[in-house]
Parts: sequence; C-alpha cells; structure tokens
Amino acid sequence: MSEQVEQLIRKEYAAGFHTDIESETLPPGLNEDVIRFISAKKNEPEWMLEWRLKAYKIWLTMEEPEWAHVHYPEIDFQSISYFSAPKSYEDRPKSLDEVDPDLIETYNKLGIPLHEQEMLAGVAVDAVFDSVSVVTTYRAKLEEAGVIFCPISEAVHRFPDLVKKYLGSVVPQRDNYYSALNCAVFSDGSFVYIPKGVRCPMELSTYFRINEMNTGQFERTLIIADEGSHVSYLEGCTAPQRDENQLHAAVVELVALDNAEIKYSTVQNWYPGDENGKGGIYNFVTKRGICHTRAKISWTQVETGSAVTWKYPSCILKGDHSIGEFYSVALTNNYQQADTGTKMIHLGKNTKSTIISKGISAGHSQNAYRGLVRMGSSAAGARNYTQCDSLLIGDRCGAHTFPYIESAHPSAIVEHEATTSKVSDDQMFLCQQRGLDAEKAVSMIVNGFCREVFKQLPMEFAVEAGKLLEVSLEGSVG
Amino acid sequence: MAAEFQQQAIALASQQSVLGWLNDAREQGQLAWNTHAWPTRKTEAWRYTSLLPVENEQWQLSDTASDTLPQSALAELIEFDAYRLVFVNGQLRADLSSDLPASLVLFADANADQQSVIKQHLNQVADQQVHLFTALSSSLLNQGALLHLSKNQRLEKPVYIVHINDKANAKVTNARLLLVLESGAEAQVVEHFFSTDDQDRGWINAVTECSVGANASLRHHRINLESEQALHTGAVHVALAESARFNGFTVANGSRLKRIDYHIKHLGSGSDLQLNGIYLPRHQQRVDYHTCVEHVVPHCTTTEVFRGVIADSARAVFNGRIHIHQDAQKTLAEMSNRNLLTSDQAQVNTKPELEIYADDVRCAHGATVSQLNDEALFYLTSRGISEAEARVMLSFGFVNELVEGVELEALQQWLRPRIAHMFGQSDQLTRHIIHE
Repeated sequence: MSEQVEQLIRKEYAAGFHTDIESETLPPGLNEDVIRFISAKKNEPEWMLEWRLKAYKIWLTMEEPEWAHVHYPEIDFQSISYFSAPKSYEDRPKSLDEVDPDLIETYNKLGIPLHEQEMLAGVAVDAVFDSVSVVTTYRAKLEEAGVIFCPISEAVHRFPDLVKKYLGSVVPQRDNYYSALNCAVFSDGSFVYIPKGVRCPMELSTYFRINEMNTGQFERTLIIADEGSHVSYLEGCTAPQRDENQLHAAVVELVALDNAEIKYSTVQNWYPGDENGKGGIYNFVTKRGICHTRAKISWTQVETGSAVTWKYPSCILKGDHSIGEFYSVALTNNYQQADTGTKMIHLGKNTKSTIISKGISAGHSQNAYRGLVRMGSSAAGARNYTQCDSLLIGDRCGAHTFPYIESAHPSAIVEHEATTSKVSDDQMFLCQQRGLDAEKAVSMIVNGFCREVFKQLPMEFAVEAGKLLEVSLEGSVG
Repeated sequence: MAAEFQQQAIALASQQSVLGWLNDAREQGQLAWNTHAWPTRKTEAWRYTSLLPVENEQWQLSDTASDTLPQSALAELIEFDAYRLVFVNGQLRADLSSDLPASLVLFADANADQQSVIKQHLNQVADQQVHLFTALSSSLLNQGALLHLSKNQRLEKPVYIVHINDKANAKVTNARLLLVLESGAEAQVVEHFFSTDDQDRGWINAVTECSVGANASLRHHRINLESEQALHTGAVHVALAESARFNGFTVANGSRLKRIDYHIKHLGSGSDLQLNGIYLPRHQQRVDYHTCVEHVVPHCTTTEVFRGVIADSARAVFNGRIHIHQDAQKTLAEMSNRNLLTSDQAQVNTKPELEIYADDVRCAHGATVSQLNDEALFYLTSRGISEAEARVMLSFGFVNELVEGVELEALQQWLRPRIAHMFGQSDQLTRHIIHE
C-alpha cells in the first residue's frame, strides 16, 4: 500500500470534537433509585415508573447475549451514568435564536446547521442533544396536518393512551437484554403519530448526538402510522471522539396499521474507535416494526460507525399482503466489528419481504450479516428475496454471513444469495485504464456496489451517505 | 438428563472387551465425551434437532448379529463388483462379505504396520472436542475398518461397506471407518446403512475419517436409508493434502433422529472438494445435515450442492458452513442449497454460512425454499400426465441431477427407483422415470 493510501486510511474521525455544555449528570450506577430519579426528573406518571421498574426487574434476571460474532471487554453496567440533560432543559427555547450557541456550533461542524434546516424544504428536525430534546422545528406545520412529532417524554403526558397502548407492543420488555435495559432507563426519544389517511407533509428527522462523558444513550423511538397513512423518518448519528467506550442501547418500535407505510432511514456514524481499536461506541440496538394488513415497513441503514454494532432492524409481517424491506450498507474499518442484519417474520398470507445487504470490510474489521427469514405455517404465498454481498478490502479483515431460513409453508418461496469477493481487478483495471486513479476507482466501485441501497435513501441522506462512505474508505486500496 | 446420558455411555463402554492397543484412543475419547456440554435447544449446532430420542432411552450395546437375514434385506444390497464388508448390528458377517484385499482390514485383524497407521490417523482428522458424537464413537471404540492405500496404489474395485440393523429394541451400534490414502492413491468407497425392519429402533453412530494424501483421489458415497424409528448420528471427516481430491455424495431419508456432519479441511494447496447431498424426509421424519468446509491454505476449490424434498410432516435441517482462514487466498468456494416443500406441514430450516478472513477469494452461497413450480406442473398436465404423476416426475427431477453426478453406474441404477418410489409408491406414477 502506498504511503498516501496509508495516510488516508488513518484519516481521523472528522466529526470528532466535544462541545462543552454544562449538563446535569447522574453519578454512575444503576438501581431502582436511579430509575425513580429519571422518572421523577421527567415528571412521569406512576404507570410509566411502574413500567420501567418492571423492565428493570426483568433485566436483572437476564444474561448478556453472547452469540453475536463480536468480541469486546465486559461492560460494567454500574459504571455507566444513566441520565444527563443539557442544563437549559428547564427553560426550553421557543425558537432557534434561543438555542445555546454552542449547540448551533456543533451542528455547524457537522455540516447540518440548524438555521439552514428551515430552508431545507420538507425536513423537520427534532434534535436530540444527549438525552433531552432541545429544539423542535416545524411543529406548527405538522400539527396542522394532525401529525404528532414530539419527544417521547412529552408524549407520555400529552398522549398517555397512545403511549400506553403501543409502548412495548412491538419490542416487549423481556425481548432481549439490551431492550430490557432500555425499557428501564430510556432517557428520551421521538414519538410520532400519523393520523388515519394522512401523508406526512415532510420527512421527519432526528439527529442524535452522544455528548456527555460516560453517558449511555438510551433512546426510545415509537412511531405509529394509523390506517392508510404514510411517513418517512430519518435518523442520523455522529458522536464526538472519545477514549472510553460508550454504550448505546436504543429501541425503536414501528407500528404500521392497515394500509400504512413507514420508511425508516438511518445513517449511523458513531465514533468507531481509533486505528488501534481503542474507544468507540458500543451500539446495541433493537429495532422492530409490525405490519398490519397491506402495510409496509422499509428499513434503510447506512452503518459506518461504532466500535461494536449489534443491530437487527426487523419486520413482523402480521397482516395479509404486508411488505417488509431491509436495505443496508455496513462498512467497517480498522478494528470495528459489526453483527447486523434483519429478521423478517412472515405470519400473514401473501406477505413479501426483500433484503438487500451490502457489507464492506477493511483494515482489521469483522463484518457479519446475520438474518432470519421465517415463513410461519400460515404464511401462504409469502415471498422473500435476500441478497447479501460482501466486499473485502485488505487481507486482515473478515466478512461473514449467517442467514437463518425457516420455512414451514410449501407455497412460501424463499431465495437467498450471498457472495463475497474483493474489489475486482478487472473493474479496477478498466477504471484506471480510463485515467482514474486507484482511489477514485475504488470509490466508484464501492459506490456502485452500494447503489441499490443508496437509491432507497431520501435525497438529503443519500448525499451524506455517499460522502461518509467515501471518507471512511478513501485509501483502502491495496 | 443430559449428563445422565453421558454417564450411561461411559457405563456402556466399560461393558466392552477391547483391543489393548486401542485403549489410549478410548480413554481420550471418553475424556472428550465427558467434557462436552450436553446440547440443549439453545446450543447453536442443535438448534433445530432434538436429542430427546437419545436421552429418553435406556441403551444397550448391540453385540449379536442375526443368523438369518430376511431375503428382502439381501435384496437391498447393491449388486456390483466390489470388495464387500457386511456388518449386521455392528458385527461382521463373513458369509455375506467378499474376499478382501490386503489394504482393507478390520481393526481386530490389523498387523503391526496397520496398527500404527490406525494409531497415527485415528482422531487426527476428526476433532472430537468439536463433534460430540465422534467423541462418543471414540469412547465406545472397539472395532472398525481400515482402508490403507500405499503410495500410488489404485484399488481396482470399489469398497462397499454395509451396515444392516435389524433390532427392534434400543441397541447402539458403533461403526468406525478409517480411510488413509497415501499420496497418489485412488479409491472409491460406498457406505450403505439400512434396516431390515420398519420397527427397528436401533441407533447407529457411524464415524468415518478420511485422510487423503497429496494428489490422491477419493470418491466417497454414503447412503443412509434406515427405518423411520431408527436413530443415526454420523460424521464424515476429511483432511485434504496438496492437490488431493475428494468427491463426496450422500443421500438420506429421515428418521426419528438423523444427524450427519461433514467436516472437510483443505490442508494442502490445490485441493478440490465436490460434495453433493440429497435428503428426502417423509412422514414424521427428521433429518439434519451439518457441513463445515474449512479452507486453511490458498488455491483450493469447493463446490457443494445439497437438495432436499420434504414431504408430509417431515422436517429437514441444513447448515452449511464455509470457513476461509486468513491464509487461504485465491479460494473458490460455492455452496447451494435448494429445498422443495411438498406438503403444508413440511418444514425446513436452512442456514448457509460464510465465515471469511481472507480477501482475495470468491465465495458464494445460495439457498432457496419453495414448492413445485406451477408452470412446470401445468406444462406436464397439459400433455396428459396426471397431476400426481407430474409431481413425482418433478420432485424426482429436482434431485436426479445430483444422482447423475455419481460416477458409479451401479449405484445410480440402484438409487433411482428407490428415490422414485419415495415420491410415488405405485409403478403407474413412476413409469416415466424408471425403465425396468
């Protein structure tokens, strides 16, 4: 590898900076009092506290999962602080002008200045800075359409019936170790409700950012699309450079009622650790959606960050004729480890699912696709198509595929294909022979490799994703 | 429950008389067997297959061969010119076996040289720390067969090893086969397992180890057509040296418990593996194939094709794993697994895995699950073939492609009608696919 290439690989994490904003942080540790504190801090009603405590008790009985193809030092859950809120929480700003200038600066560095967001047509931002939503824009316009888009802590007060009915209905408290933990201590997150027949007038977007030393981030997102409605939700994350591992255990629940459609897009770029694998975020996320009759849920993700990723956005295709989609690009470099994929549970008749997964591993990283396609015994006429391709760059990385296919209905059709290869010499030759340098050629080839997924992303994200990939990959040519 | 059976097996082992020079191997086997954690439904390798049929029985060692076998059993033997070894309930029946070449012996008859070959290779190809029932096989080790071909030796006739079970009670048979091919040697081996009685409740634990030397070539066939009540746990372990070739073929119906592991290691560059498998469970049967191909060195190739037709309330499991080690550059590996479900209650769980640590490789796998193609059915029925017959023809065609890849003509001839009759009992349904 040329020196220049080496340099490019070693390129430091571009979004690595840390904004100093005073915040109210709880000392590390987890017990019932901590949960009571979090709950009290948010003025939560009694039922919410009960729900958290129940989850905590369940969590205590569970064990950390070990089946994933990732290795990391044991997490001491008592050394994590479970609550942190920017100080300005009590007097929440009414407009962008009132927002902490430091915050604005942070977003500027990330290239998503908030005051420009207003001009970016069709995007409302519920910016989550650490655990509390600080600013919400376009609220008025959304309210006009009847769309509810607010922090979940607010929804607990304003729409208790909806929250009670759906919270935990897709990812129950005892679903898995990290979701149970999230249920107990979740800090905040977004709540979205799209009323019957409404097409959300704009794309909803939340930027997350871990900003407080040693603070686990426990987001909780709940999106409910009522009958015949449509919503596209964007989630993106970047995190400042840190030395200590940070835990991120989010839960996202999607409910698509009859004929509704939810499109959920993620660009994930948490701090991946340095070139020696030191530091970085542990990203243990549970994302799941349930589709009722003729509903559709589409997950699109571009995963380039985190030291360890453990993430399986899933669809339960409960209603007849419902559709689930999963489009994923997962890129790992240096010592990153990713074990990601999806689960498509077909229960209804004529349900369809598509899985397109592209994994790219470079450096010393390990990148695994783990997916489940289950055709239940009632899934007559169900159809799945899965394609997972892996690209290897460098001879010290690994690419793995663990697809589970369970079929219990003869008329269900499952197709799975996977390929693994390196960047083809022929393609490189063709590009270079036409005057492109190796760098550019790889970038083009990789972008082409991921095209199927990128074209699913909303425009704003597609640009960011392309850029992210380019930065993360530049110079990985051997 | 679990540990209980592990103890039971050790107790069984102590009842046996044993060849003195195999003692060390037995002791190591028992050590490995005892250190295995007994699988539960949470154990990844046993996720879909229950070991209850093993646990729920009081097992005895099978030690007697029936004097008389029903004529129907003898008719099941494949008629072809081969060195034939017939075991009934694990005991050799010399009267049914043929004259053997010097290179093929029972462990009990091995001369000093052969004993040292056995000691040198036994459990060297197989990893009994990983494979539970291989550890059991070593724990119960008291006999087996060895085929040892010296350098460039080529066996004129195929080796045909038959295991017949005719016990209706719970007896466990331990079958062990060791194939050692020195460099440049060539052999064809057919292993055939069946039961004479539909009610046979016996259990056969059959482990085969193949050490294939440089430039050597081994064609190995394993036919598992036991009764529905029988239990089979088996494994084929293969180590391939430089430019060695292994051509494997396996076919199995299902039974109460049938688990077959193939574990192949490419240890010398330029080696080639072809592995084809067919599983055809019906009724309430279960069948579970686990294959693992390890590419340890560069420039090796693997082609693996498994097809299954799952009927009635049967369940099939296929877990195919290709593991490319860091040094195994320039590997070409392909795996395909296709399944047909022919009834509403049939189930299949398949998991084609790739684990890759080298970058300059081309690996692909594919898996499909579906039912018979409506258009193909329509095509045949529109030409005056009944739907029932069309189904038989299409199911047969689905797996026949692999049967045709079998080099031994006699085996092909023998296999075709048997497979056809699994899809359609009456001759009327199979008239277009078998010409007798």
